[in-house]
Amino acid sequence: MGTLLKIRNIMKNFGDLEVLKDISIDVQEGEVIVIIGPSGSGKSTFLRCINQLETPTSGEIWYKDRNVMDPNQTQLRDFREEVGMVFQRFNLFPMKTVLQNVMLAPVLTKKKDKVAARAKAMELLEKVGLGDKANAKPSTLSGGQQQRVAIARALAMEPVALLFDEPTSALDPELVGDVLNVMKDLAREGMTMIVVTHEMGFARDVADRVIFMADGYIVEEGKPEEIFTHPKNDRTKTFLSRVLEA
Amino acid sequence: MDLSFLGKLLPMLFTGLRVTILIAVVGILLGFLVGTLAGFALESRIKLFKGLANVYIWVIRGTPLIVQALYVYYVIPKLFGIDLSSNLSGILVISLNSGAFIAEIVRGALNGIDPGQREAGLSLGLTPAQTTWHIIVPPAFKSILPALFNQFIISVKDTALLSVIVVNEITHQAQNYASLSYKTIPTYTTLAVFYLVLISILIIVQKMVERKVMR
Repeated sequence: MGTLLKIRNIMKNFGDLEVLKDISIDVQEGEVIVIIGPSGSGKSTFLRCINQLETPTSGEIWYKDRNVMDPNQTQLRDFREEVGMVFQRFNLFPMKTVLQNVMLAPVLTKKKDKVAARAKAMELLEKVGLGDKANAKPSTLSGGQQQRVAIARALAMEPVALLFDEPTSALDPELVGDVLNVMKDLAREGMTMIVVTHEMGFARDVADRVIFMADGYIVEEGKPEEIFTHPKNDRTKTFLSRVLEA
Repeated sequence: MDLSFLGKLLPMLFTGLRVTILIAVVGILLGFLVGTLAGFALESRIKLFKGLANVYIWVIRGTPLIVQALYVYYVIPKLFGIDLSSNLSGILVISLNSGAFIAEIVRGALNGIDPGQREAGLSLGLTPAQTTWHIIVPPAFKSILPALFNQFIISVKDTALLSVIVVNEITHQAQNYASLSYKTIPTYTTLAVFYLVLISILIIVQKMVERKVMR
Protein backbone atom coordinates (compact mmCIF):
# COMPACT_ATOMS: atom_id res chain seq x y z
CA MET A 1 0.00 0.00 0.00
CA GLY A 2 1.71 3.14 -1.18
CA THR A 3 0.80 6.76 -1.31
CA LEU A 4 -1.24 7.43 -4.43
CA LEU A 5 -1.75 11.18 -4.23
CA LYS A 6 0.31 13.84 -2.50
CA ILE A 7 -1.53 17.14 -2.43
CA ARG A 8 0.37 20.10 -1.05
CA ASN A 9 -0.69 23.66 -0.17
CA ILE A 10 -3.45 24.00 -2.72
CA MET A 11 -4.85 27.51 -3.01
CA LYS A 12 -7.61 28.58 -5.35
CA ASN A 13 -8.86 32.10 -5.93
CA PHE A 14 -11.79 33.14 -8.08
CA GLY A 15 -10.97 36.80 -8.60
CA ASP A 16 -10.77 38.30 -5.14
CA LEU A 17 -12.51 35.36 -3.54
CA GLU A 18 -10.19 32.88 -1.82
CA VAL A 19 -12.02 29.56 -2.00
CA LEU A 20 -9.19 27.25 -0.99
CA LYS A 21 -6.65 28.69 1.39
CA ASP A 22 -4.14 25.94 2.08
CA ILE A 23 -5.12 22.34 1.54
CA SER A 24 -2.70 19.44 1.92
CA ILE A 25 -3.56 15.75 2.11
CA ASP A 26 -2.04 12.40 1.23
CA VAL A 27 -4.21 9.67 -0.21
CA GLN A 28 -3.18 6.07 0.28
CA GLU A 29 -3.96 3.31 -2.18
CA GLY A 30 -7.32 1.74 -1.35
CA GLU A 31 -8.25 4.50 1.06
CA VAL A 32 -11.78 5.93 1.21
CA ILE A 33 -11.74 9.59 2.17
CA VAL A 34 -14.99 11.42 2.81
CA ILE A 35 -14.96 15.21 2.80
CA ILE A 36 -17.76 16.92 4.72
CA GLY A 37 -18.48 20.52 5.58
CA PRO A 38 -20.92 23.38 5.08
CA SER A 39 -21.73 24.52 1.56
CA GLY A 40 -19.32 27.14 0.32
CA SER A 41 -16.47 25.58 2.29
CA GLY A 42 -14.58 24.69 -0.90
CA LYS A 43 -15.12 20.90 -0.88
CA SER A 44 -16.20 20.61 -4.51
CA THR A 45 -13.63 23.13 -5.70
CA PHE A 46 -10.93 21.09 -3.98
CA LEU A 47 -12.11 17.90 -5.67
CA ARG A 48 -12.19 19.65 -9.05
CA CYS A 49 -8.67 20.97 -8.48
CA ILE A 50 -7.39 17.41 -8.10
CA ASN A 51 -8.19 16.46 -11.71
CA GLN A 52 -7.58 19.98 -12.96
CA LEU A 53 -11.14 20.84 -13.97
CA GLU A 54 -10.16 23.89 -11.94
CA THR A 55 -6.56 25.00 -12.14
CA PRO A 56 -5.25 25.68 -8.62
CA THR A 57 -3.83 29.16 -8.10
CA SER A 58 -0.84 27.57 -6.37
CA GLY A 59 0.27 24.33 -4.78
CA GLU A 60 1.38 20.91 -5.94
CA ILE A 61 -0.36 17.66 -6.78
CA TRP A 62 1.65 14.48 -7.24
CA TYR A 63 0.15 11.22 -8.50
CA LYS A 64 2.59 8.38 -7.78
CA ASP A 65 5.73 10.18 -8.97
CA ARG A 66 4.06 12.27 -11.66
CA ASN A 67 3.35 15.99 -11.40
CA VAL A 68 -0.35 16.40 -12.19
CA MET A 69 0.00 20.17 -12.64
CA ASP A 70 2.64 19.75 -15.34
CA PRO A 71 1.40 21.67 -18.39
CA ASN A 72 1.98 18.55 -20.51
CA GLN A 73 -1.53 17.70 -21.73
CA THR A 74 -0.78 14.06 -22.51
CA GLN A 75 0.30 13.47 -18.94
CA LEU A 76 -2.86 15.14 -17.65
CA ARG A 77 -5.02 12.91 -19.87
CA ASP A 78 -3.22 9.80 -18.61
CA PHE A 79 -3.92 10.95 -15.05
CA ARG A 80 -7.59 11.56 -15.81
CA GLU A 81 -7.87 8.08 -17.32
CA GLU A 82 -6.61 6.65 -14.03
CA VAL A 83 -8.54 8.96 -11.68
CA GLY A 84 -12.16 9.21 -12.77
CA MET A 85 -14.93 11.51 -11.60
CA VAL A 86 -18.63 11.23 -10.79
CA PHE A 87 -20.58 14.49 -10.85
CA GLN A 88 -23.48 15.81 -8.83
CA ARG A 89 -25.59 16.28 -11.97
CA PHE A 90 -24.40 13.01 -13.62
CA ASN A 91 -23.40 14.81 -16.87
CA LEU A 92 -24.39 11.86 -19.03
CA PHE A 93 -24.33 12.43 -22.79
CA PRO A 94 -28.02 12.93 -23.63
CA MET A 95 -27.99 11.93 -27.31
CA LYS A 96 -26.19 8.64 -26.69
CA THR A 97 -27.67 5.48 -25.23
CA VAL A 98 -26.66 4.23 -21.80
CA LEU A 99 -24.37 1.67 -23.40
CA GLN A 100 -22.77 4.28 -25.69
CA ASN A 101 -22.21 6.54 -22.69
CA VAL A 102 -20.24 3.80 -20.97
CA MET A 103 -18.33 2.61 -24.07
CA LEU A 104 -17.37 5.97 -25.54
CA ALA A 105 -14.25 6.86 -23.59
CA PRO A 106 -12.60 3.40 -23.57
CA VAL A 107 -13.00 3.19 -27.34
CA LEU A 108 -11.69 6.72 -27.93
CA THR A 109 -8.78 6.70 -25.49
CA LYS A 110 -7.58 3.18 -25.02
CA LYS A 111 -8.20 2.13 -28.58
CA LYS A 112 -10.04 -0.77 -27.05
CA ASP A 113 -11.88 -2.49 -29.85
CA LYS A 114 -15.63 -2.07 -29.84
CA VAL A 115 -16.44 -5.69 -29.09
CA ALA A 116 -14.30 -5.77 -25.96
CA ALA A 117 -15.52 -2.33 -24.86
CA ARG A 118 -19.14 -3.40 -25.32
CA ALA A 119 -18.64 -6.57 -23.29
CA LYS A 120 -16.95 -4.63 -20.51
CA ALA A 121 -19.67 -1.95 -20.56
CA MET A 122 -22.44 -4.57 -20.31
CA GLU A 123 -20.64 -6.22 -17.41
CA LEU A 124 -20.43 -2.87 -15.58
CA LEU A 125 -24.08 -2.04 -16.28
CA GLU A 126 -25.03 -5.43 -14.80
CA LYS A 127 -22.87 -4.61 -11.80
CA VAL A 128 -24.75 -1.37 -11.12
CA GLY A 129 -28.06 -3.18 -11.75
CA LEU A 130 -28.92 -1.58 -15.09
CA GLY A 131 -28.13 -4.26 -17.66
CA ASP A 132 -31.68 -4.02 -18.96
CA LYS A 133 -31.32 -0.27 -19.66
CA ALA A 134 -28.36 -0.55 -22.07
CA ASN A 135 -30.27 0.77 -25.06
CA ALA A 136 -32.28 3.44 -23.23
CA LYS A 137 -31.55 7.15 -23.48
CA PRO A 138 -30.42 8.75 -20.19
CA SER A 139 -33.44 11.08 -20.10
CA THR A 140 -35.76 8.07 -19.67
CA LEU A 141 -33.99 6.98 -16.47
CA SER A 142 -34.51 8.17 -12.90
CA GLY A 143 -31.81 10.30 -11.27
CA GLY A 144 -30.54 7.37 -9.26
CA GLN A 145 -30.31 5.20 -12.37
CA GLN A 146 -28.52 7.98 -14.25
CA GLN A 147 -25.97 8.32 -11.46
CA ARG A 148 -25.33 4.58 -11.51
CA VAL A 149 -24.75 4.80 -15.27
CA ALA A 150 -22.30 7.64 -14.59
CA ILE A 151 -20.46 5.43 -12.12
CA ALA A 152 -20.33 2.62 -14.68
CA ARG A 153 -19.02 5.11 -17.24
CA ALA A 154 -16.20 6.12 -14.88
CA LEU A 155 -15.44 2.47 -14.07
CA ALA A 156 -15.19 1.60 -17.77
CA MET A 157 -11.84 3.40 -17.82
CA GLU A 158 -10.63 0.87 -15.20
CA PRO A 159 -9.54 3.68 -12.91
CA VAL A 160 -7.15 3.45 -9.97
CA ALA A 161 -9.16 6.02 -8.01
CA LEU A 162 -12.49 7.81 -8.25
CA LEU A 163 -13.57 11.31 -7.21
CA PHE A 164 -17.24 11.71 -6.22
CA ASP A 165 -18.60 15.27 -6.22
CA GLU A 166 -21.80 15.18 -4.10
CA PRO A 167 -23.06 12.15 -6.04
CA THR A 168 -26.40 11.92 -4.24
CA SER A 169 -27.23 15.61 -3.70
CA ALA A 170 -29.38 15.91 -6.82
CA LEU A 171 -31.39 12.75 -6.10
CA ASP A 172 -34.81 12.18 -4.61
CA PRO A 173 -34.31 10.75 -1.09
CA GLU A 174 -35.64 7.30 -1.96
CA LEU A 175 -33.12 6.93 -4.80
CA VAL A 176 -30.04 7.74 -2.71
CA GLY A 177 -29.71 4.26 -1.26
CA ASP A 178 -29.11 2.47 -4.57
CA VAL A 179 -26.27 4.82 -5.46
CA LEU A 180 -24.69 4.57 -2.02
CA ASN A 181 -24.85 0.77 -2.19
CA VAL A 182 -22.91 0.78 -5.46
CA MET A 183 -20.33 3.05 -3.84
CA LYS A 184 -20.11 0.80 -0.78
CA ASP A 185 -19.43 -2.19 -3.04
CA LEU A 186 -16.63 -0.28 -4.74
CA ALA A 187 -15.09 0.65 -1.39
CA ARG A 188 -15.27 -2.98 -0.30
CA GLU A 189 -13.49 -4.07 -3.48
CA GLY A 190 -10.60 -1.76 -2.60
CA MET A 191 -11.22 1.19 -4.87
CA THR A 192 -9.48 4.38 -3.78
CA MET A 193 -12.18 7.00 -3.36
CA ILE A 194 -12.45 10.65 -2.43
CA VAL A 195 -16.08 11.47 -1.76
CA VAL A 196 -17.59 14.90 -1.14
CA THR A 197 -20.99 14.27 0.41
CA HIS A 198 -23.61 15.28 2.93
CA GLU A 199 -24.46 11.63 3.64
CA MET A 200 -23.16 11.30 7.19
CA GLY A 201 -24.25 7.67 7.44
CA PHE A 202 -22.08 6.79 4.46
CA ALA A 203 -19.15 8.72 5.94
CA ARG A 204 -19.48 6.86 9.24
CA ASP A 205 -19.87 3.39 7.73
CA VAL A 206 -17.50 3.48 4.77
CA ALA A 207 -14.82 6.14 5.27
CA ASP A 208 -11.32 5.27 6.40
CA ARG A 209 -10.80 8.96 7.06
CA VAL A 210 -13.20 11.89 7.35
CA ILE A 211 -12.06 15.40 6.51
CA PHE A 212 -14.05 18.37 7.76
CA MET A 213 -13.60 21.51 5.66
CA ALA A 214 -14.78 25.04 6.39
CA ASP A 215 -13.93 28.42 4.88
CA GLY A 216 -11.32 26.98 2.54
CA TYR A 217 -9.34 25.14 5.21
CA ILE A 218 -9.19 21.58 6.52
CA VAL A 219 -10.42 22.17 10.03
CA GLU A 220 -10.20 18.63 11.31
CA GLU A 221 -9.56 15.13 10.02
CA GLY A 222 -9.51 11.67 11.48
CA LYS A 223 -11.18 8.29 11.66
CA PRO A 224 -14.96 8.54 11.39
CA GLU A 225 -15.55 7.45 14.98
CA GLU A 226 -13.22 10.19 16.23
CA ILE A 227 -14.80 12.90 14.13
CA PHE A 228 -18.38 11.88 14.77
CA THR A 229 -18.17 11.02 18.48
CA HIS A 230 -15.30 13.19 19.74
CA PRO A 231 -14.90 16.17 17.45
CA LYS A 232 -12.19 18.46 18.84
CA ASN A 233 -12.85 21.67 16.95
CA ASP A 234 -15.83 23.88 17.83
CA ARG A 235 -16.57 24.49 14.16
CA THR A 236 -16.83 20.72 13.61
CA LYS A 237 -19.04 20.29 16.67
CA THR A 238 -21.45 22.99 15.49
CA PHE A 239 -21.64 21.56 11.99
CA LEU A 240 -22.20 17.99 13.18
CA SER A 241 -24.81 18.93 15.72
CA ARG A 242 -26.73 20.72 12.97
CA VAL A 243 -26.60 17.97 10.36
CA LEU A 244 -27.01 15.01 12.71
CA GLU A 245 -30.03 16.59 14.37
CA ALA A 246 -31.86 16.88 11.07
CA MET B 1 -57.11 34.18 -70.63
CA ASP B 2 -54.13 34.08 -72.94
CA LEU B 3 -51.46 31.83 -71.51
CA SER B 4 -49.25 31.81 -74.58
CA PHE B 5 -46.69 34.06 -72.83
CA LEU B 6 -45.79 31.08 -70.64
CA GLY B 7 -44.20 29.44 -73.68
CA LYS B 8 -41.51 32.09 -73.60
CA LEU B 9 -41.42 32.97 -69.92
CA LEU B 10 -41.17 29.47 -68.46
CA PRO B 11 -37.98 28.46 -70.29
CA MET B 12 -36.38 31.71 -69.15
CA LEU B 13 -37.45 31.16 -65.56
CA PHE B 14 -36.21 27.56 -65.55
CA THR B 15 -32.85 28.75 -66.84
CA GLY B 16 -32.79 31.30 -64.01
CA LEU B 17 -33.96 28.71 -61.48
CA ARG B 18 -30.90 26.59 -62.22
CA VAL B 19 -28.65 29.57 -61.40
CA THR B 20 -30.65 30.44 -58.28
CA ILE B 21 -30.42 26.88 -56.99
CA LEU B 22 -26.72 26.58 -57.85
CA ILE B 23 -25.81 29.81 -56.05
CA ALA B 24 -28.10 29.16 -53.08
CA VAL B 25 -26.95 25.56 -52.49
CA VAL B 26 -23.22 26.15 -52.98
CA GLY B 27 -23.40 29.48 -51.13
CA ILE B 28 -25.22 27.97 -48.17
CA LEU B 29 -22.88 24.98 -47.93
CA LEU B 30 -19.84 27.26 -47.96
CA GLY B 31 -21.65 29.63 -45.61
CA PHE B 32 -22.26 26.75 -43.19
CA LEU B 33 -18.54 25.93 -43.29
CA VAL B 34 -17.48 29.57 -42.80
CA GLY B 35 -20.14 30.13 -40.14
CA THR B 36 -19.13 27.02 -38.18
CA LEU B 37 -15.47 28.04 -38.20
CA ALA B 38 -16.34 31.62 -37.22
CA GLY B 39 -18.75 30.39 -34.53
CA PHE B 40 -16.03 28.25 -32.94
CA ALA B 41 -13.61 31.17 -33.32
CA LEU B 42 -16.02 33.37 -31.35
CA GLU B 43 -15.88 30.85 -28.51
CA SER B 44 -12.13 30.34 -28.86
CA ARG B 45 -9.72 31.36 -26.15
CA ILE B 46 -7.28 32.55 -28.82
CA LYS B 47 -7.79 36.32 -29.01
CA LEU B 48 -6.72 36.63 -32.66
CA PHE B 49 -9.37 34.14 -33.87
CA LYS B 50 -12.01 35.79 -31.74
CA GLY B 51 -11.08 39.25 -33.02
CA LEU B 52 -11.09 38.21 -36.68
CA ALA B 53 -14.47 36.54 -36.33
CA ASN B 54 -15.92 39.58 -34.58
CA VAL B 55 -14.69 41.97 -37.29
CA TYR B 56 -16.07 39.69 -40.02
CA ILE B 57 -19.50 39.49 -38.39
CA TRP B 58 -19.53 43.23 -37.68
CA VAL B 59 -18.81 44.09 -41.33
CA ILE B 60 -21.38 41.69 -42.76
CA ARG B 61 -24.16 42.56 -40.33
CA GLY B 62 -23.42 46.25 -40.67
CA THR B 63 -23.75 46.50 -44.46
CA PRO B 64 -26.67 45.71 -46.79
CA LEU B 65 -26.41 42.60 -48.93
CA ILE B 66 -26.67 44.70 -52.10
CA VAL B 67 -23.66 46.77 -51.05
CA GLN B 68 -21.75 43.57 -50.31
CA ALA B 69 -22.63 42.27 -53.76
CA LEU B 70 -21.54 45.48 -55.49
CA TYR B 71 -18.34 45.47 -53.47
CA VAL B 72 -17.44 41.87 -54.26
CA TYR B 73 -18.27 42.23 -57.97
CA TYR B 74 -16.81 45.67 -58.73
CA VAL B 75 -14.23 46.46 -56.03
CA ILE B 76 -12.52 43.19 -55.11
CA PRO B 77 -11.44 42.37 -58.70
CA LYS B 78 -9.89 45.86 -59.02
CA LEU B 79 -8.14 45.65 -55.64
CA PHE B 80 -6.64 42.22 -56.28
CA GLY B 81 -6.40 42.32 -60.05
CA ILE B 82 -8.49 39.16 -60.41
CA ASP B 83 -11.43 38.20 -62.56
CA LEU B 84 -14.65 37.21 -60.83
CA SER B 85 -17.61 36.05 -62.89
CA SER B 86 -20.96 37.26 -61.66
CA ASN B 87 -21.98 33.72 -60.64
CA LEU B 88 -18.79 33.26 -58.63
CA SER B 89 -19.29 36.68 -57.03
CA GLY B 90 -22.85 35.66 -56.17
CA ILE B 91 -21.69 32.46 -54.47
CA LEU B 92 -19.07 34.42 -52.55
CA VAL B 93 -21.59 37.01 -51.38
CA ILE B 94 -24.17 34.44 -50.26
CA SER B 95 -21.61 32.33 -48.41
CA LEU B 96 -19.96 35.29 -46.67
CA ASN B 97 -23.32 36.80 -45.79
CA SER B 98 -24.98 33.62 -44.48
CA GLY B 99 -21.71 32.64 -42.75
CA ALA B 100 -21.86 35.65 -40.46
CA PHE B 101 -25.39 34.87 -39.34
CA ILE B 102 -24.67 31.15 -39.00
CA ALA B 103 -21.64 32.04 -36.83
CA GLU B 104 -23.96 33.71 -34.33
CA ILE B 105 -26.28 30.69 -34.44
CA VAL B 106 -23.36 28.33 -33.80
CA ARG B 107 -22.02 30.50 -30.99
CA GLY B 108 -25.41 30.49 -29.32
CA ALA B 109 -25.64 26.70 -29.56
CA LEU B 110 -22.14 26.16 -28.15
CA ASN B 111 -23.01 28.53 -25.31
CA GLY B 112 -26.18 26.59 -24.62
CA ILE B 113 -24.43 23.28 -23.97
CA ASP B 114 -24.10 22.53 -20.24
CA PRO B 115 -20.42 23.01 -19.26
CA GLY B 116 -20.73 19.73 -17.37
CA GLN B 117 -20.74 17.91 -20.71
CA ARG B 118 -17.25 19.13 -21.53
CA GLU B 119 -16.10 18.40 -17.99
CA ALA B 120 -17.43 14.85 -18.23
CA GLY B 121 -15.51 14.30 -21.46
CA LEU B 122 -12.26 15.75 -20.14
CA SER B 123 -12.56 13.86 -16.83
CA LEU B 124 -12.70 10.60 -18.80
CA GLY B 125 -9.35 11.40 -20.40
CA LEU B 126 -10.61 12.55 -23.79
CA THR B 127 -8.68 15.26 -25.61
CA PRO B 128 -10.37 18.67 -25.96
CA ALA B 129 -10.85 17.92 -29.67
CA GLN B 130 -12.45 14.51 -28.99
CA THR B 131 -14.68 16.12 -26.38
CA THR B 132 -15.80 18.79 -28.82
CA TRP B 133 -16.44 16.41 -31.70
CA HIS B 134 -18.07 13.49 -29.88
CA ILE B 135 -19.81 15.26 -27.01
CA ILE B 136 -20.42 18.93 -27.80
CA VAL B 137 -21.13 18.88 -31.54
CA PRO B 138 -24.02 16.35 -31.71
CA PRO B 139 -26.39 18.19 -29.32
CA ALA B 140 -25.23 21.60 -30.63
CA PHE B 141 -26.00 20.55 -34.20
CA LYS B 142 -29.41 19.32 -33.17
CA SER B 143 -30.22 22.60 -31.48
CA ILE B 144 -29.17 24.82 -34.41
CA LEU B 145 -31.24 22.95 -37.04
CA PRO B 146 -34.35 25.20 -36.92
CA ALA B 147 -32.30 28.42 -37.04
CA LEU B 148 -30.09 26.96 -39.75
CA PHE B 149 -33.02 26.18 -42.02
CA ASN B 150 -34.40 29.64 -41.37
CA GLN B 151 -31.09 31.09 -42.57
CA PHE B 152 -31.22 28.80 -45.64
CA ILE B 153 -34.63 30.21 -46.54
CA ILE B 154 -33.40 33.78 -46.11
CA SER B 155 -30.35 33.05 -48.27
CA VAL B 156 -32.43 31.52 -51.07
CA LYS B 157 -34.52 34.68 -51.20
CA ASP B 158 -31.42 36.89 -50.91
CA THR B 159 -30.17 35.50 -54.22
CA ALA B 160 -32.85 37.68 -55.87
CA LEU B 161 -30.78 40.75 -54.94
CA LEU B 162 -27.87 39.42 -56.98
CA SER B 163 -29.59 40.73 -60.11
CA VAL B 164 -27.70 44.00 -59.40
CA ILE B 165 -24.45 42.27 -60.35
CA VAL B 166 -26.08 40.72 -63.42
CA VAL B 167 -26.35 37.21 -62.06
CA ASN B 168 -28.85 35.52 -64.36
CA GLU B 169 -30.89 34.10 -61.52
CA ILE B 170 -34.63 33.74 -61.69
CA THR B 171 -35.60 37.29 -60.63
CA HIS B 172 -33.22 38.78 -63.18
CA GLN B 173 -34.70 36.58 -65.88
CA ALA B 174 -38.21 37.67 -64.92
CA GLN B 175 -37.19 41.33 -65.05
CA ASN B 176 -35.71 40.80 -68.51
CA TYR B 177 -38.90 39.24 -69.78
CA ALA B 178 -41.14 41.85 -68.17
CA SER B 179 -39.20 44.77 -69.60
CA LEU B 180 -39.37 43.30 -73.11
CA SER B 181 -43.00 42.15 -73.04
CA TYR B 182 -44.57 44.65 -70.65
CA LYS B 183 -46.48 41.67 -69.18
CA THR B 184 -45.63 42.61 -65.61
CA ILE B 185 -48.62 41.10 -63.81
CA PRO B 186 -48.35 37.54 -65.16
CA THR B 187 -44.54 37.61 -65.09
CA TYR B 188 -44.08 38.63 -61.48
CA THR B 189 -46.99 36.47 -60.34
CA THR B 190 -45.32 33.46 -61.93
CA LEU B 191 -42.00 34.49 -60.36
CA ALA B 192 -43.56 34.64 -56.89
CA VAL B 193 -45.07 31.17 -57.41
CA PHE B 194 -41.64 29.81 -58.31
CA TYR B 195 -40.18 31.15 -55.06
CA LEU B 196 -43.11 29.81 -53.05
CA VAL B 197 -42.64 26.33 -54.49
CA LEU B 198 -38.88 26.45 -53.92
CA ILE B 199 -39.20 27.57 -50.29
CA SER B 200 -42.02 25.06 -49.67
CA ILE B 201 -39.72 22.26 -50.78
CA LEU B 202 -37.10 23.54 -48.35
CA ILE B 203 -39.67 23.60 -45.53
CA ILE B 204 -40.66 19.99 -46.29
CA VAL B 205 -36.98 18.98 -46.20
CA GLN B 206 -36.63 20.81 -42.88
CA LYS B 207 -39.56 18.90 -41.37
CA MET B 208 -38.14 15.60 -42.61
CA VAL B 209 -34.65 16.28 -41.26
CA GLU B 210 -35.94 17.52 -37.92
CA ARG B 211 -38.21 14.52 -37.49
CA LYS B 212 -35.25 12.23 -38.14
CA VAL B 213 -32.86 14.03 -35.79
CA MET B 214 -35.28 14.84 -32.97
CA ARG B 215 -36.07 11.19 -32.37
